[in-house]
Amino acid sequence: MNFVLLAQASGFDRFLEKLYDNLIANGRWKYYLEGLGVTLQITILAALLGIIIGLFVAIVKVSAMNTNNIFLKIGDKICNIYLNVFRGTPMFVQLLMFSLVFFPTGQKLWVAVLAFGMNSGAYVSETFRAGILAVDKGQSEAGRSLGLNTFSTYRYIILPQAIKNILPPLLNEFIALLKETAIVSAVGIADLTKAYEKISARTFEFFIPLLTIAIIYLILVTIMTAIVRAVERRLRQSDNR
Amino acid sequence: MITVKDLKKSFGKHEVLCGINETIEKGEKVVIIGPSGSGKSTFLRCLNLLEQPTSGEIWFEGKLINKPKSDIDKIRQKMGMVFQQFNLFPHLTVLENITLAPIKLKLQTKNDAIANAKRLLDRVGLAEKANSYPRQLSGGQQQRIAIVRSLAMNPDVMLFDEPTSALDPEMVGEVLAVMKELADDGMTMVVVTHEMGFAREVATRVLFIDEGLILEEAPPQEFFANPKHPRLRDFLSKVL
Repeated sequence: MNFVLLAQASGFDRFLEKLYDNLIANGRWKYYLEGLGVTLQITILAALLGIIIGLFVAIVKVSAMNTNNIFLKIGDKICNIYLNVFRGTPMFVQLLMFSLVFFPTGQKLWVAVLAFGMNSGAYVSETFRAGILAVDKGQSEAGRSLGLNTFSTYRYIILPQAIKNILPPLLNEFIALLKETAIVSAVGIADLTKAYEKISARTFEFFIPLLTIAIIYLILVTIMTAIVRAVERRLRQSDNR
Repeated sequence: MITVKDLKKSFGKHEVLCGINETIEKGEKVVIIGPSGSGKSTFLRCLNLLEQPTSGEIWFEGKLINKPKSDIDKIRQKMGMVFQQFNLFPHLTVLENITLAPIKLKLQTKNDAIANAKRLLDRVGLAEKANSYPRQLSGGQQQRIAIVRSLAMNPDVMLFDEPTSALDPEMVGEVLAVMKELADDGMTMVVVTHEMGFAREVATRVLFIDEGLILEEAPPQEFFANPKHPRLRDFLSKVL
């Protein structure tokens, strides 16, 4: 009886010891924290870059639909090539290409931001484009027939309505982006996933560091998902007023 | 006020307007009728260049408007347009719908625009709806608001593209009443419609368009009592 209790206690003690080793000893918690910081940094900067590229590409493509303007037509072709390349090849291959071939001497973090931003921009642009096109054509006709120019019509009439179509899929895109940044550990960037590698190399333990980073990713995604839900709810409410 | 010379419009290989010549004088109320697909809506939409004509000339207040250099935004401020589907801006209140263009185009101060909008809303009996959103209104109310939105720009001419075709039957009357009042005030109007009663009562001239051509035009009494073109006779026998 006593023996069993002791064995359980010592098993639990060993687990606590492992936890301590993999989370706290030798300031190892700092690896997770610093890794988390890098992961968030890459995600946020790449998301911003993706929004800028995406909005630009979307507006070029939408504008090129109803015009004979030669510059817009050429711009449209270039955008198509960009979209095909970045959506048609694996993100990991793009990251390796950017890090090892295009910018082998560049600051690793910024090269990763560029690679993820350009990849994200390709997906985001389609989200923007679909959101803009989903606004009824009569809306822009009504705006134009009141004498508003193209820019004002976009600014005051089309985009405020398009944002409702755009926001939920845009945020979902950034959730996917966050998870995908895990591959930057493969090009030697000290992100959250790299923290696991560093620690397990010292402690020869896989489960606890992996579980730790998985939980951190899960918490981040859960928070972001909650934000998407809240945004969707608010947008629906404004539809019903 | 509006002169159209040999207006042609094709969508791809399909020629919708096959050479339209027409002059609309200030104060006229021109009603355009014709079977669906005849080109009457396309003709109306060419007048404010929502459709770019394939060839021909459109003159408005002494200016050729369908040339590359013309400032179409400026011209459209003087041509109100009312659509079949109302096309109110769903994200803005009724008052914001009406005042958006006058304020953003700096034609009126915000206070003046709001005062003007309220006066116009009062005229169509919808003053209490100023802070509602379009979704909360009936089709007839939405269309009356759409008319007010165009009027707020103080246009010289109003174009109506089947303004009652998307309405429930019991709401047609309230919209036609507003249009009639507008006509009595002397507004120049071009109206594409299937409302023969409105054409009879309000029009100074009725045009019959079929297959991209104006086949007949006459004052309403003569137009309805004594149609000359066989296609018009056929059309009237079906709709009257």
